[in-house]
Amino acid sequence: MTPTRETFGNISDGSRWVFYGLAVAATALFAWGLHRRVALWRQGRPIGLRALLSGSWRERISRWRPGARRIAIEGLGQERVRGRGLASGAHGLLFSGFMVLLLGTTLLEVDHLAGMVSSNLHFHQGLYYRVYETTLDLFGVLFLAGCLLFLFRRVRRPPSVGHRASDWGVLAAFLAIGVTGFLVEGLRIGWQRPEGVGATCSPVGLWISTTFLHGWGEGELRRGHVVLWWVHSLLVLGFIAAIPHTRLLHFIAGPLNLALAPATLGVLPPVRMEEVEATGRVGVGDVRHFTQQQLLSLDACVECGRCEEACPAFATAKPLSPKKVVQDLRGVMESLATPVPEGEAGVHGAVVGAETLWACTACSACTRVCPVRVDPVGLILELRRHLVAEGTLSGTAAVALRRMQSSSNPWGLPPGERGAWIEGLSKPPAPSA
Amino acid sequence: MNPTPDSPPQWKAPTVRENPGFEILYWVGCAGAYDRRAQRVTRAMVKLLNTAGVNFAVLAGEEKCTGESARRLGDEFLFQELAQANIETLARHKVRKIVAHCPHCVNAFLKDYPQFGGAYEVLHHTQLLAGLVEQGRLKVPAEGSRQEPLPITYHDPCYLARVNGIHQAPRDLLALAAPGALREMGRCRDKTSCCGAGGGRMWMEETPAQRVSTQRAGEALATGAKTVAVGCPFCLTMMTDGVAASGAEVQVKDVAELLAESLGL
Repeated sequence: MTPTRETFGNISDGSRWVFYGLAVAATALFAWGLHRRVALWRQGRPIGLRALLSGSWRERISRWRPGARRIAIEGLGQERVRGRGLASGAHGLLFSGFMVLLLGTTLLEVDHLAGMVSSNLHFHQGLYYRVYETTLDLFGVLFLAGCLLFLFRRVRRPPSVGHRASDWGVLAAFLAIGVTGFLVEGLRIGWQRPEGVGATCSPVGLWISTTFLHGWGEGELRRGHVVLWWVHSLLVLGFIAAIPHTRLLHFIAGPLNLALAPATLGVLPPVRMEEVEATGRVGVGDVRHFTQQQLLSLDACVECGRCEEACPAFATAKPLSPKKVVQDLRGVMESLATPVPEGEAGVHGAVVGAETLWACTACSACTRVCPVRVDPVGLILELRRHLVAEGTLSGTAAVALRRMQSSSNPWGLPPGERGAWIEGLSKPPAPSA
Repeated sequence: MNPTPDSPPQWKAPTVRENPGFEILYWVGCAGAYDRRAQRVTRAMVKLLNTAGVNFAVLAGEEKCTGESARRLGDEFLFQELAQANIETLARHKVRKIVAHCPHCVNAFLKDYPQFGGAYEVLHHTQLLAGLVEQGRLKVPAEGSRQEPLPITYHDPCYLARVNGIHQAPRDLLALAAPGALREMGRCRDKTSCCGAGGGRMWMEETPAQRVSTQRAGEALATGAKTVAVGCPFCLTMMTDGVAASGAEVQVKDVAELLAESLGL
């Protein structure tokens, strides 16, 4: 007999309809949550997204290519996630497991819908089925391994990593989804009794079935299957609905930011005089003065803390953590969910203090190390521009700026002495200074 | 122009007016012009450029600060004012190619000035020098004639290595100046860690307990190096302070100085 299994096998018609109804509800919750985040991002300065969609297809493709490349290499290829030992390994396992399970579930649904059109269109059988089942079992194990590694790491609470109560919920849900998935498979094998390769192509389910379900009658197995199937389904649907409301939002904001973030270190956007005349402001005083992409980047952050570990100011006990700057700005952005008058979504003072901003050396270690291309240096520089425009810079830095203005050099030495070093060339070497 | 035993060398640094047919502009920068310690790097560079027979010129007073520090401090308009003036000066002298020994100047020319119409071929001095060595225009004496070099470490400047990806040229030069002596720090190349001077911090006070330079110098000293090589005048100041703070008998020098020494200049 051709190895296969019936989609929704052992699940009554009524249950199927309830499942699809709940799936629609979960997707709606997901869409509503995402819409709310997008509405926050859109309150930033426009980044010309319309221009990405204009022109001939050739022009569009050339504009999309760099972003698409970064999604492929740095998102799917996880290039920027690597290099942090256990955490990178755990993320790689969880990510690859997740992506393959997502692809597998999608293919299953495609097969199910195709089968509704014509039973000849079923492809979930035979060799395809064997490869499918074994692959999904393997990646299911990788997924669970990744979850366990992350759990181990979170229990040890590395100081640079952010901790929210919901993080435990997310990890527990992931573990429960993986475990119930395998239990459903084991119970299904129990009542379906596939033979030969039809059974061995699902090694984890077969192992559960032969080890733990030995001696269960078919009725018990079928009832257990329905119960576990529902638990698994509800967990998955709940997880989908939760994506925009938890750290899982980085599934969306991360790749989007990879695609849209300006990709070059050391480049600052110029302030144009015409803009200043039109808006009457320089830099960022209200969170909405950031660009839409910068606001999006605040949601891409998962508080992994790599930026904080790389920051020389943080390492020398100055009041600056790039991660905290990003999170504090994100807090202000979230306040925009209810209308805030222009200029009143302030980001200075109690949110990001001046001493925090002046502690930055613009060394760009944080920006380089961020897996999702959040650019704390770019955020800090926009905030500094605002402070300077307000005239709040004081101390030695203000003196250096005044000297640059008056003498065209930060030492404040006479411009006429700029060439004085040449005379030193022919003289005997000066004693060491 | 090579030194001979009979006549002391006459090092020349012609201005753009004295040598209007120059091929490359040596942008000395504020530190190289005004800072006593960094002036020695400038002089080492002039000796090397003379020795290699490079057709260069300097501005010697017509230039202003690139404004890099001003821009990173957040004073965009001061930066734009300085940049406009420099771009006009560079255009007046038809400058196409620039070498600078300050990575902040290099970054300003590479990343900041093109936004305002100033586009040049820009080299960090270590890149130019590595090219001259490769072309055989700078010949380092054979290894055997010199004593075993003491261990050296190289501190990558952020705006050179991380921001602009230039980290091999200085190492190539150090391999010539002190063969086999390089001891890398854990955080090097694009993973380098700041000396503390970037983003305008060069001009701010720091309490001794919070000095970034002390921490980075500690990392450099942990390699056992007797020389800390740098490629930036700000790093030169910071690492010198950091080494001094730990009381170590270690010299801090620019890569160009070490190369000039190995050439007997």
